[in-house]
Amino acid sequence: MDWLFFSEIGLAGLGSGGLYALTGLALVLIYKATRVVNMAIGEILMLGAYVFMGFSAGLALPIWASIILAILVTGLVGGVVERAIIRPMLGESAISIFMITIGLGSVLIGVVEIIWGANPQRLIEFMPKDPIFILDAYLSPKVGYAFLIAAIVVGLFLIIFRTWRGGVALRATAGDQAAAYSMGINVPKVFSSVWVLTSMIAAGAGILVGSIGGISPDMGVYGLSVLVVVIVGGLDSLLGALIAGILVGLIETYAGAYLGGEFKMLATFMLLVVVLVIRPYGLFGTHEIERL
Amino acid sequence: MSILKVAKRATGALLAAGLITGAAQASDKKDIVLGGSIPLTGVFAFAGVGIHAGITDSVKIINDAGGIEGHKLVYVPEDTAYKVDASVAAYNKITSQHDVNLYYGDSTAFSKTISPELDRSGKTLMTGASFASELNDPEKYPNIFIPGPTYVDMVGILMKHIANEKPGAKVGLVHSETEFGRDPVEGAKATAKELGLDLNLVISTAPGGVDVSTEVLKMRRARPDYVIFHGYVLSPIPEFIGQARSMGLDTKFMGTFWSMDNQMVGKMGEIADGFMGVMPYNYYYTEAENAPMLEKIRSMRDTYQSNAYMQGFFSTIMMAEAARNVIKAGKELNGPNLHEGLEAIKDFDTGGLMGIPVTVKGNSVPIGRVYQYDLSKKQMVPSSDWIRLD
Repeated sequence: MDWLFFSEIGLAGLGSGGLYALTGLALVLIYKATRVVNMAIGEILMLGAYVFMGFSAGLALPIWASIILAILVTGLVGGVVERAIIRPMLGESAISIFMITIGLGSVLIGVVEIIWGANPQRLIEFMPKDPIFILDAYLSPKVGYAFLIAAIVVGLFLIIFRTWRGGVALRATAGDQAAAYSMGINVPKVFSSVWVLTSMIAAGAGILVGSIGGISPDMGVYGLSVLVVVIVGGLDSLLGALIAGILVGLIETYAGAYLGGEFKMLATFMLLVVVLVIRPYGLFGTHEIERL
Repeated sequence: MSILKVAKRATGALLAAGLITGAAQASDKKDIVLGGSIPLTGVFAFAGVGIHAGITDSVKIINDAGGIEGHKLVYVPEDTAYKVDASVAAYNKITSQHDVNLYYGDSTAFSKTISPELDRSGKTLMTGASFASELNDPEKYPNIFIPGPTYVDMVGILMKHIANEKPGAKVGLVHSETEFGRDPVEGAKATAKELGLDLNLVISTAPGGVDVSTEVLKMRRARPDYVIFHGYVLSPIPEFIGQARSMGLDTKFMGTFWSMDNQMVGKMGEIADGFMGVMPYNYYYTEAENAPMLEKIRSMRDTYQSNAYMQGFFSTIMMAEAARNVIKAGKELNGPNLHEGLEAIKDFDTGGLMGIPVTVKGNSVPIGRVYQYDLSKKQMVPSSDWIRLD
């Protein structure tokens, strides 16, 4: 057994898992607060990466400004989408809103293809290029720094979510909308805020993912892997998204390393099937009991 | 009325009658329809847009030159988003509305799916975006034509180049885990053995995968002299090369046709320098003697056109040439005759699209050339002469 190789694969898996966890966080948040499974999260992530490219390569703005502007613009798009498309659907069946988010994904792909074309693109390199060695184990610098950034963002967010007034309002809305209303919480405003916030998180994840693997209008497929992550972790569990993200990242990379790339997806979906059979509501999801 | 006036009027009347008859005869010649399942959107849109432009321009050039033996060539495309069901629906729609003799399909999967229908209808010759080796079988796929070398041939051309450059070299093959990506794997193993190369690394990458660290770690341990990428347009090639360079590997990297667009390779940045690959056609910017078609293309479009454009263009002129051979032989335009017309293409001058005269072998044209990216010129430049596989 080559333990160095084993540990290097583990580090790569943690890196991938960190990105899954970050995007999973966005998906879980929006579900928790609004009960909407946002199937367009991958495309919002893709949009964020393209907007970053527009500012950094198109307008030649500094990287830090491009990142901030890309996150803000994508957040704004999220807010507009919520106000114009999602809010009028409040009260409609969950499947209707689910279908709308699928349509939204197609619209976003179309918009990106109209503005930036269908060709795959590379983002400007902004992460350090020197390889990272943890003892003797190699870690790709992009993956390492992306993991670090994802971990900081997730950590900050969890602190804010627990302590900030808006975070408390969000948790209250997620817990019981009627009770939140009666306590004077502006629930529609919470909905808007969540769409803005999750779109901003997705944009950040898009910039990180795009800086590693490049960007193209079809990079929203990444959202499907993230969907697996949140189903495994539990659709309404932030902790679940984090743990499942790391778990899926590790399983994918170990399967890819020891069985071959063709087994990566198979391993991930095997995990999904096993979890759904044993715990249909996910590893950490709420077990909702409906009395008829 | 003087005799002169009578003669003038008679001559005028005869001329008018002749022109009318001629025009009537010309319009009597039935249009030849080229249908197309074209991926103008979706994951292959980068190629579909170029293919569409290439077909459109070549159809215009053919018609401006009098059509195919007087028959106007009409191009009827439909967008497929690179989905097989949409491609089949497009095929059904186009063939139900037009009498289609020529067709362009967008993928290997579509070609294999629609092949029995082509055989049944017996009317159409089809080409497309696929260079799949499996399609290079005239017995099994009598109505399909590959507009260049197959993927196995492409890898073979690269391996021949490697064997010449460094006999006994260690070679790696990195391919996408798709039907397109898996195509040359077995062929590559056989070719490597034949040429005395050591194919010591075969890696498949999951479609849509972002991080390739795991695969690069495997590459570091195998330390191949050359790595051939197949089944990618851009990503994850730059990440592979970047990580390999940061680990100190001096491996040479190569690609097959769909990884060889000049603009795409240029997007890799500095690490693109020295990237090699196989290309069956000349590039848009190639300055060559006796290349009037390249001149014509540049006069029609003054900005760079992709390798997909050249592929669409070449596919169309080859199908038109097959149709021309059928009409010249006085035969009916149908699948079997078009296939004969295709087989009759020998030493065909493509006007510079390919650097040497073209002869069809089986269902394909096994010709290619190795190119290398020159960062200072920001261009793929020839690294070998044209190679014809026998």
